[in-house]
Amino acid sequence: MKRKTKSNRRTRVLLGLTLSLVFLAAVCIAGCLCTEAARTADFGRKNLSPCFPYLFGTDWMGRDMFARTLKGMSISILLGVLASVISALISLLLGIASATLGKRADQLITWVIDLIMGIPHMLLLLLVSVALGKGLKGIVIGVALTHWPSLARLIRAEVMQLRESPYIKVAQKLGKGRWYLVKTHILPHLVPQFLVGMILIFPHAILHESSITFLGFGLSSEQPAIGVILSEAMKHLVTGKWWLALFPGLMLVGTVVLFYVAGESLRKLLDPGSVHE
Amino acid sequence: MKKRLASLLCAAVLAAGILSGCGSSQGETADRVTQQGEEEGTKDSVVVTMPVTAEPESGFDPAYGWGAGEHVHEPLIQSTLTVTTTDLKIDKDLATDYSVSEDGLTWTVKIRDDVTFTDGEKLTAQDVAFTYNNCKEKSSVNDFTMLEEAVAVDDTIVEFHMTRPFSIWPYTMAIVGIVPEHAYSEDYGQNPIGSGRYIMKQWDKGQQVIFEANPDYYGEEPKIKKLTVLFMEEEAALAAAQAGQVDVAHTAASYAAEVEVGGYSVLSVESVDNRGINLPATAPQEKDGITYGSECLQDVAVRRAINIGIDREEMIENVLYGYGTPAYSICDKLPWYNEESEVEYNPDQAIKLLEEAGWEEGDDGIRQKDGVRLSFTILYAPGDSVRQALAEDTALQLRELGMEVSTQGAGWDVAYDMAQSQPLMWGWGAHTPMELYNIYHSLEDSGIGMAQYSPYKNETVDSYMDQALASGSLEESYELWKQAQWDGTDGVTQEGDIPWVWLCNVNHLYYVRDGLQVAEQKIHPHGHGWSLVNNVDQWSWN
Repeated sequence: MKRKTKSNRRTRVLLGLTLSLVFLAAVCIAGCLCTEAARTADFGRKNLSPCFPYLFGTDWMGRDMFARTLKGMSISILLGVLASVISALISLLLGIASATLGKRADQLITWVIDLIMGIPHMLLLLLVSVALGKGLKGIVIGVALTHWPSLARLIRAEVMQLRESPYIKVAQKLGKGRWYLVKTHILPHLVPQFLVGMILIFPHAILHESSITFLGFGLSSEQPAIGVILSEAMKHLVTGKWWLALFPGLMLVGTVVLFYVAGESLRKLLDPGSVHE
Repeated sequence: MKKRLASLLCAAVLAAGILSGCGSSQGETADRVTQQGEEEGTKDSVVVTMPVTAEPESGFDPAYGWGAGEHVHEPLIQSTLTVTTTDLKIDKDLATDYSVSEDGLTWTVKIRDDVTFTDGEKLTAQDVAFTYNNCKEKSSVNDFTMLEEAVAVDDTIVEFHMTRPFSIWPYTMAIVGIVPEHAYSEDYGQNPIGSGRYIMKQWDKGQQVIFEANPDYYGEEPKIKKLTVLFMEEEAALAAAQAGQVDVAHTAASYAAEVEVGGYSVLSVESVDNRGINLPATAPQEKDGITYGSECLQDVAVRRAINIGIDREEMIENVLYGYGTPAYSICDKLPWYNEESEVEYNPDQAIKLLEEAGWEEGDDGIRQKDGVRLSFTILYAPGDSVRQALAEDTALQLRELGMEVSTQGAGWDVAYDMAQSQPLMWGWGAHTPMELYNIYHSLEDSGIGMAQYSPYKNETVDSYMDQALASGSLEESYELWKQAQWDGTDGVTQEGDIPWVWLCNVNHLYYVRDGLQVAEQKIHPHGHGWSLVNNVDQWSWN
C-alpha cells in the first residue's frame, strides 16, 4: 500500500514534467507556424472582443491576438532556451574553474560573481542590451550574461565539496591529472545541478526578456513579443479592451509556472535523496 | 512551489499598490487645484491637461525653445513683435510698424512705447535687441542663422541686420517672446518675467504650471484669470476628465471615438499636424556609412503611383476614427499652400502608371522591373500607435498595387539616417513657409548635397524658394512658395517629382467641460500641446 503511493508520486512528477514540456514545445511550434498571421493587420476587423475565430480578440490594427500571443510566447521560449543554455554553460565553466584552478583563479571568479550580483539585475540587463544596440542580439547577450552568477556559485561550492571526498583524494594520490578528475569524477556529479539550474534560469530569462521589451529597451516594436504586446495594451486598457492584456499576461504567467514545475520535477527525479519517495 | 506562488502574488499586489499610488498622487494635485478654483468662487479659471512632453524642460525661455522651439506657439508670458492671425497671415502685437529695406537685409521695426514688464520696468527696443541676439547665440532648437545682429536705434526702434534676405522674418517675430534685459540670467526660464497676457505663478516640475492674468497687460484684458496646466499622459488625462477634475483634457482619436465622458464633449480642432512618408528620390549611393536613395523609389512612376494609390479617406476612418483631414502637402490650408497638390484616389491609374513604367507583376503578385522587386519598408517611431497604424495601413493599401511593403519600428536615434534610404512616417506642420524649404530645398554641404531629410534635388524648386525668401513682401513670397510646389510644369506635386507623399492631418482632440467656450482656434501646428491655449484669454464660461 505504502509502496504504491510512493511510486505514484514519482509517476506524477514524471507526468507533470512531460506535460509541461509537451505544452511548451506545442506553444513553440504553433508560434513558429503563425508568424505571418501574427503580423497581418486588417482594419476591417479591428478592436474585436474575443469571439470565434479570434479567440483572444483583435487589436487596434485588427491583428489576431491569438496568433500574436502564440508567436510572442514562442519568441520568448526560444530566447529563453538560448539565453539559459549560454548562461548555464558559463556558470559550469566558471564554477569548475573557480574550484579547481587554484586560489588566485577562485578569488578572481568569486570577485566577478559578487560584482555582477551586486548590480541590480534589471539595470545591468538594460545597460548590456542598450550597449549592444537593443534588438534580438542585445536581449540574448544581455540575458545570457546576467543570469549565470548564482548557478556558478552553486556549482563552485559543489565542486569544492566533491574535491574533499575520499575517492577523489585517492585518485589524486594515484597521480591522475586535473582534467581526468574533472571529467570522470566531478562532471557526472554536476549533471543534476546543471540541468535543474538551467531549467530554473528559464522563467527568469523569459520574465526579464518581456520586462525589458515592455520598457522599450528590448525587441523592436514590430515584433509580436509579449513585452511589446503588453506595453501596447496599456494604452487601450482604459477604453475597456481587457483582452489585449489579459490573455497574453496569463500565457506569460502560465509559461513561467510550467517551466518552474518542469524544473522542480526534474530536480525531484534526479536528486538521489528523493529516489525512493 | 507554494511559497513561490505566494511571493509572486505579493509582488503583484505590491506593484499594483505602487501603480495606484502614482495615480492617486496625480489625482490629488488636480483635486487641490480645482478646489482652489472653487474656493475663490469664480468661474474665470481653467484647468487644462497637456502631454508630458509639452512641459518645457529648459523653462519658459525663448532662447531654449519656449514658443520658438520644435513646436511653435504663442509664448503667453512674453509678448511678441507680431502675431499670426486665424488664417495664418501676420498681424502686429508689440510692433506698430515694420519695413524691410530694398535689398532685404535690414528689417526696421517700430514698437509700442506704453508696454511694461510685470516687474514694472518699461519694455524698450534694447530688450528686443537683447532677446534676438541672445536667441541667435543660444538657440539650438530654432534657426536664427539668417540674423546677423539686432540693434536698438533708439527706445522704440529696432533694426535687424540679416545675413541673407529672409522675407518670412515676420513669422519668426511671431514666436519669439521678448525678455527683459535687466532681469535676464541663466535661470530666467525658471522665473520668467515678460509683458504678456499671463504671469507664471507656480511651476511644480513634472506636474503642473499655474498662470495668472497680467493685471497691467497693455492689450485687451484676459477673460480667464487663471490657467492651470497639468502634464500627464492621455490615459491619465482621460481618467482626470472622468473624475471631473479638469476642464479640458487632451486625448487621442481612439479614446474620443470610444469613450464618452459625462459632462464633457469632444472638441476636434483642425490642424496642419500632418503625417506623411518621404520617398528617397535618387539612385542608391553610400557616403560616410549612410545609404542615400532607393533602388525602386527613385522611379518617379512608383512615387506617383503611391500618391494616387492611397485612399486617404479610408485611412483616416481606419486609423483616426474620422478625426482628420486628407493631406496633400506639408502646408495644407495655409496661405502658401498650392491647391494643385490635391489628387484624387485612383488605383487603376496607379496600376497603369506602374505598368507603363515597366513594373510587371511577377508570379507572387509582386511587381518587378529588370530584376528589381518593388519592395521597401516603411519605418515608424515605436510607441506611437497612430504612426504605426498609418504605416501599416499604407503598407496594406500599397500591397494592392503589387508592392511588397513591410513596416518596422525605428527609434529617433537611428531613424534620421535610415530615412535617407527608406520611407519614414513623419509628422510636420508649422506656422511658417520655412518648412517647405527644410523639406524640399537641397543643402550644398550636408550629406550628398540634397535635401536634408530625404534625398531630393530640383534646381527649379530650389530657385523658387530662394526667390521667395528674397522677395519684397509676404504676399509676393506666398505666390513663390506656391510655385515652388507646382508652377505648371515642374514642382513637388503629383505631376512633378513627388518626393514626399502626404497622408493626413491629425485633428487635435480634447474633452471640454460643458459650459466652457473655447475661442476659435488657428489651425494647429504639429504638437498636441500649447497651441490650444494660444488664445485662452478669450475663452469664457457660460
